[in-house]
Amino acid sequence: MTRRIVIIFAVLVVIAFGLAYYAVQLKKKVARDEQLAAQQALASAPAANGTPTPVTLYLASDSDGTLRRTQLSVALPPERTERARAVLRALFGQYLQSGSPHPIGAGADVRDVYLLGDDTAIVDTNSAFANAHPSGVLTEELTVASIVATLNAADSQIQRVKILVNGQERETLAGHADLHRFYEAGNIGAVVKDLQ
Amino acid sequence: MRLSRRTSQLALVLTAVLTLLIAAPLARQAAVQAQSSNQNQLTVYSPQTTYSVPLLDVNGQSYVGLVDLFEPLGTIDARADGKKYKFRFTAPGGRPLESQFNEGKDKSKVRGENYKLPANFVIQTGRGYVPLSAASVVLGKLLGTDAQLHPAARRLFIGNVPIRYTLELRPGNPSHLLVAFSSPVNPSIATEPGRVRLTFRREPVVSSGADTVPYSDPLITGATFSEHDGLAEVDVTGTAPLMANFADGGKTIIITGAPPPPPVPQEAPPPAPPPTAPAAQPQPKAPAAPRFLVLIDPAHGGNDIGAAITPDLPEKDVVLALARRLQHELASRGIAAGLMRNSDVAISLDQRATAANATRPALYIALHAANTGRGVHVFTSLLPAANLSPGGFLPWDTAQAAFLDLSGSVAGSVAAELESRKLPNTTLPAPLRPMNNVAAPAIGVEIAPPGDIVEEIASAPYLQQVAQSIAAGVAAVRSKLPEVRP
Repeated sequence: MTRRIVIIFAVLVVIAFGLAYYAVQLKKKVARDEQLAAQQALASAPAANGTPTPVTLYLASDSDGTLRRTQLSVALPPERTERARAVLRALFGQYLQSGSPHPIGAGADVRDVYLLGDDTAIVDTNSAFANAHPSGVLTEELTVASIVATLNAADSQIQRVKILVNGQERETLAGHADLHRFYEAGNIGAVVKDLQ
Repeated sequence: MRLSRRTSQLALVLTAVLTLLIAAPLARQAAVQAQSSNQNQLTVYSPQTTYSVPLLDVNGQSYVGLVDLFEPLGTIDARADGKKYKFRFTAPGGRPLESQFNEGKDKSKVRGENYKLPANFVIQTGRGYVPLSAASVVLGKLLGTDAQLHPAARRLFIGNVPIRYTLELRPGNPSHLLVAFSSPVNPSIATEPGRVRLTFRREPVVSSGADTVPYSDPLITGATFSEHDGLAEVDVTGTAPLMANFADGGKTIIITGAPPPPPVPQEAPPPAPPPTAPAAQPQPKAPAAPRFLVLIDPAHGGNDIGAAITPDLPEKDVVLALARRLQHELASRGIAAGLMRNSDVAISLDQRATAANATRPALYIALHAANTGRGVHVFTSLLPAANLSPGGFLPWDTAQAAFLDLSGSVAGSVAAELESRKLPNTTLPAPLRPMNNVAAPAIGVEIAPPGDIVEEIASAPYLQQVAQSIAAGVAAVRSKLPEVRP
């Protein structure tokens, strides 16, 4: 065996380790970019039309298991379902920010909000919302309660809410919270009081 | 440029070593993963309980997890420290006993004594595994009692638990075969034409003599004992249909000929004259004795790991460990408790609710774990109160509504016990499946880490404190919960 072979082998080993390091860094960068893109998409979408209006968001915090009311100025379209969607996207935008006290899956979004009659809202979320949602009874309940309470605060006529994922019914959000059922705003309101 | 022969050989060896270093762990991981999907179960019979433990197949050899093996028997504390695996076991009322194992080595130290394992120790996803053939030795050393392994049948007996039986054939018309056991048994019984099979899944039944006993009887021709796949069977064969009856409080099973089926009437018989004397009326069957059973449901299992508490610690394992402790704590307070699952198996949410309702427990407790928040969260169902009678027909989606008051009482009592032990806790209603479908008082308990260190969620002292709190909370409201007839 010549020294040349040994050198080639050593160079190949160094290249292999270098490529592995590069792949790890690339994966981290892609994840960061995706999260940033999702945040920017959510932040910019509602601003397309409508006038900035103060809305009440119920923001969850995992560390102490609470829901807190907060005001945020959101550009709200005049149409009722579009307005509901814009409010929920603003809520998701808060959760998608880095350092959020209640992080949800990167890329989570609200595809549409439909109204059944005057009082029932169907919230259609995308797959990333459920597939990447942290798993746990309390953390999933905080998300559901936050959506229902925020919708009810933005549109007091909405008394019942059902959550779909990618247009389909789903058994649970991330293994715990029931997504088959309709949530009553009054029922959730009692929970929100407990959580404040 | 030419290198010396020695340098060339050195380079070759270095290349081989590097390749081995990279390839060996990958190959072993692949082998373990490929074979772990085909897991077998070991049935362990101890004086306290009977339980199943999954077996891991590594390179054709069966291994058993130390945590799985010892957890139902006492308190454990296990951690992998690099290639070292430190294991501490404390039997109830005993002192802690230390053991140490080394990954990839067969040398170990159990209770201060050197012990050579029959094959190398394995650490897989932070869990330590010993060869199955070493399980009885390690158990014996740490429990201070004999443990017998039947490796082919995958059955392990701790202490003097085996139940033996004798066979006695009483010829007659028809003949009877009396199978008398040293303790009451409750096997499942299957009958086929000319055959009765008694299957013992939870009872440590062993053979007392010859496994096969032939009879020269016109009805019963033989009895055969066999054990396999973690269970035992007694197979009785005959020349005509056979049936089995229990006697002597479940300590004897009598096998004899089954009565012939009633003839099918061709025509309606004429009405019989009224009897001149009152006929013997069949005695009404005595109602079964009420019993108070708590059903513990460790969530998730199998492919459904639940939350990833840490990359190596799935929720399904944490809740199973907590469930076993809770069962033990309830038993120590005189409360019978059953587990929805006692091994790593998948059960759907609807199956859990169906099984719970079929069991008719006095209380249903769902156990969960999460890595967010602190302390313990106690849940009741998030359903509006409804005026439903617990005894009537209940809608599937809102069956729990009839039991909300009782469920709330239990949750409050458990929270008070958690508070008295200074464990941070929250009590609130939650949309947790499948609680809404359970027709019995029901609570959910989710444990989160006690402090900043997430791994402490699975620490023995923390799980023990939580289990004690739940058990004490249940015991405190036991009189409010109705006993349910099976």
